[in-house]
Amino acid sequence: MENAPEYVIEMLHITKVFPGIIANDDITLQLRRGEIHALLGENGAGKSTLMSVLFGLYQPEAGEIRKNGVKVEINNPNDATALNIGMVHQHFKLVDVFTVLDNIILGAETTNKLGFLQKKEARRKIEALSEKYGLTVDLDAKVEDITVGMQQRVEILKMLYRDNEILIFDEPTAVLTPQEIDALMATMKEFSKEGKSILFISHKLNEIMAVADRVSVLRKGKYIGTVNTKDTNKQELSNMMVGRPVQLEVHKTPAKPGEEILKVEHLCVPSHLHKRNAVNDVSFSVRAGEILCIAGIDGNGQTELIHGLTGLDKASSGTVTLCGKDISSASIHKRGEAMSHIPEDRHKHGLVLDFTLEQNMVLQRFDEPQFQKAGFIRNDEVRDYAEKLIEQYDVRSGQGPVTIARSMSGGNQQKAIIAREIDRDKPLIVAVQPTRGLDVGAIEYIHSQLVAERDKGKAVLLVSLELDEVMSLSDRILVLYEGEIVGEFDPKAVTVQELGLYMAGAKRAGEGGETK
Amino acid sequence: MKGKLATLYQKDGTKKILASLVSILIGLLVGAFVVIIVGLFNSRISLKGAWEGVRLIFFGIFSTGRDASGALTWGFNPTSLGNTLFRAMPLIMTGLSVAVAFKTGLFNIGAPGQYLFGTMASLMVALSLPTEKMGAVPVWIIAFLAGVLAGALWGAIPGAMKAFLNINEVLACIMTNWIAANIVTWAFDISNFKNVAESTKTGYVYKTTFNGVATAKLGLDKLFPGSQVNAGILVAILAAIGMYVLINKTTLGYQLKACGSNRHAARYAGIKDKRNIVLSMAIAGALSGGGAALYWLSGNTEFFWSTYQSLPAIGFNGIPVALLAVNNPIAVIFTGIFMSMLNVIGLQMSNLTAYNEYLTDIIVAVIVYLSAFALVIRMIFESRKKKAPAAEKKAKENEEPPKPDAAQNGKGGEQA
Repeated sequence: MENAPEYVIEMLHITKVFPGIIANDDITLQLRRGEIHALLGENGAGKSTLMSVLFGLYQPEAGEIRKNGVKVEINNPNDATALNIGMVHQHFKLVDVFTVLDNIILGAETTNKLGFLQKKEARRKIEALSEKYGLTVDLDAKVEDITVGMQQRVEILKMLYRDNEILIFDEPTAVLTPQEIDALMATMKEFSKEGKSILFISHKLNEIMAVADRVSVLRKGKYIGTVNTKDTNKQELSNMMVGRPVQLEVHKTPAKPGEEILKVEHLCVPSHLHKRNAVNDVSFSVRAGEILCIAGIDGNGQTELIHGLTGLDKASSGTVTLCGKDISSASIHKRGEAMSHIPEDRHKHGLVLDFTLEQNMVLQRFDEPQFQKAGFIRNDEVRDYAEKLIEQYDVRSGQGPVTIARSMSGGNQQKAIIAREIDRDKPLIVAVQPTRGLDVGAIEYIHSQLVAERDKGKAVLLVSLELDEVMSLSDRILVLYEGEIVGEFDPKAVTVQELGLYMAGAKRAGEGGETK
Repeated sequence: MKGKLATLYQKDGTKKILASLVSILIGLLVGAFVVIIVGLFNSRISLKGAWEGVRLIFFGIFSTGRDASGALTWGFNPTSLGNTLFRAMPLIMTGLSVAVAFKTGLFNIGAPGQYLFGTMASLMVALSLPTEKMGAVPVWIIAFLAGVLAGALWGAIPGAMKAFLNINEVLACIMTNWIAANIVTWAFDISNFKNVAESTKTGYVYKTTFNGVATAKLGLDKLFPGSQVNAGILVAILAAIGMYVLINKTTLGYQLKACGSNRHAARYAGIKDKRNIVLSMAIAGALSGGGAALYWLSGNTEFFWSTYQSLPAIGFNGIPVALLAVNNPIAVIFTGIFMSMLNVIGLQMSNLTAYNEYLTDIIVAVIVYLSAFALVIRMIFESRKKKAPAAEKKAKENEEPPKPDAAQNGKGGEQA
């Protein structure tokens, strides 16, 4: 602390303990005025906890917070707001059935003497703000009807409306499309130019290198260090974050495709949103020992395609053949006999959040003789099995097998699902965005697991929105655009730019673009 | 020793029990308060009478009447205890009905309708089968099963509407309740089960003893002489234990809970979510129907059949019984007995004092409100607990680094 006013916020020696885990262990973080300060760390490193302490959601057991060099007490979010601290949470805190305008003014409503809302004034102020920063929103739309990207802009406008000077972004890019991420980065830079200070929580190294001035790294609840982004590089940062040298590239040998495991012919799946088919006349096959990747921009039928394959939705026509058996109209249970499925939405489909970890580990298998006898669950067996998976796949949680799934970090929830699905040992693994929202260490791990399964002769069908992942992991790429396959590529023979054109619908096979 | 107590205090179960006990205590205190207020403004009740009322509210189950001098006497009262158990029997069953549905993520407010269907089926079967040929016990068993089945059927209807048409089970249950009330009234009205043998009792259905059917006493009448208790209470307790095992130990219970907490994940895992929702409601209905069968097959009960304007309170009272038990089937046994004890205390009050029995309904009402409130009380306990270790740690901070034990102590707190 050379001269106090240099730092607008200082968190000194913060310690926060949860049952079974020390989330923050003596962490110090100093935020300069007008800088973009990234907070980097793996899932469960304590980033969100630290920010929740700053925002008054948790009280630390030890340590103090200073603003402009003066010690402050932040006991709840109202205190934080009073100190001009605003936060965009990872999961947005919006009232779905309220309009955008109502959400922005909620908690900071201006009223006249009689207590009536003065929305006109608020509307003017918000419109001015949204124009100034290019944050387009429809003030009269209900939050439930707008896109995730726009919801995030609503959260940002909430902070601006409250004249916050210190802006916390908790993993803001996890839910955004590449274009939305670019726009967010530009907005953040604009804020910092105006003297607002930004704390940016992320584990995406590209984004941090692009936008942050300084980076503080946390690992397993401990403070590792703070570096200037211009003096460092991605490899160094990821090593600091994980604590060991990390492979940013996937290493794999050429695929040795074997027999055909999954064959999809002329599959059509109706959409929930409109009358047309979300998946239209799609045919492809996946062979043993290869990773087939379905690339595309979100919302081009990937979800419906996978739902049609796994039985979560009914296909309207077409046939699906798995290991030589027609499963087009088989039950989910039946399909599961030869198919593992790492679902897109781990909270909706992947886990029963109120169940314990061990109960979740046998979600499909509780009926197998290993885990039940005459209709009674063999708890000892379930416990042993869960402990085995937890150890083998390094799933971290506060209380081991009896941890409630809801209380685990996102990365470890995903690891639990992957452990369960891979250990089911089925010929086909369907993995939908298996690394979404995960940190480098976990991504590296999941990628290597998928490659290892491929090498064991499993067929892997991967759906991914991240082009980096598509390029590094797949043996073959199909591009899905508006529910149709518009091209098939060899990742070694195609560039990211070329793929991007197909994904955006600017090109398609048979119209001058090269296929294969 | 203090450490042991502290860990006990921090257990989730302890907190649940404490929260329920606090609701009960507040309910009783409010009851006592009402007794005093009523006493002060009623010329027929003296201050002494009010004091007697207060004592009865808390200890009425041990009241044995008045002695020659007019003072209240206390002691073991087998009649009151036996009647408590008798009235607890259907309450435990409807409480289980609501609790099991809750456990599987459904709000079964249809217990009254299921109870009525169980009533109709068990009474009609018990009164129409030839006892002299079949024997009373087989008839009782068939009649009981008929009640269970009818309740299950009536519960399955809202379940099916929820599963296949995505209609909220609360709405469907409320409607099926009234449909049941009207069907039952109509069915008895056109039947010949109306008690025409006794001229004052045509509003009632025959007692099942008219056909020689009554629940066995199994010696309970010797244990609690002068009371109505019978072996039905044992059936109810067995049902509670059975439900506990079903929910917590079996694959079926696992599936039901999975569907209840996350229908999508259950479907993803290949569990038949629709079947399980229907099954869940059918089990809930079976319990309510079984409760009705136990009550009406007792032999000493008479059913007032023209019920189309009212629903049986026992069905609705299953809700507070379940809430107070935090949906634990074993705890339902105790909360069911407690609720029926209040009922019996009410009778004692109207017998022994100038107060009337409906006073205890106020207590029940307060407890009903508070049992919904039990969650809040639990949160208060939780926040107290959170602050405690924090303060403890601060005190230690200067002397030594935090022990890993300190973190272990808080186990179970952060779960929800």
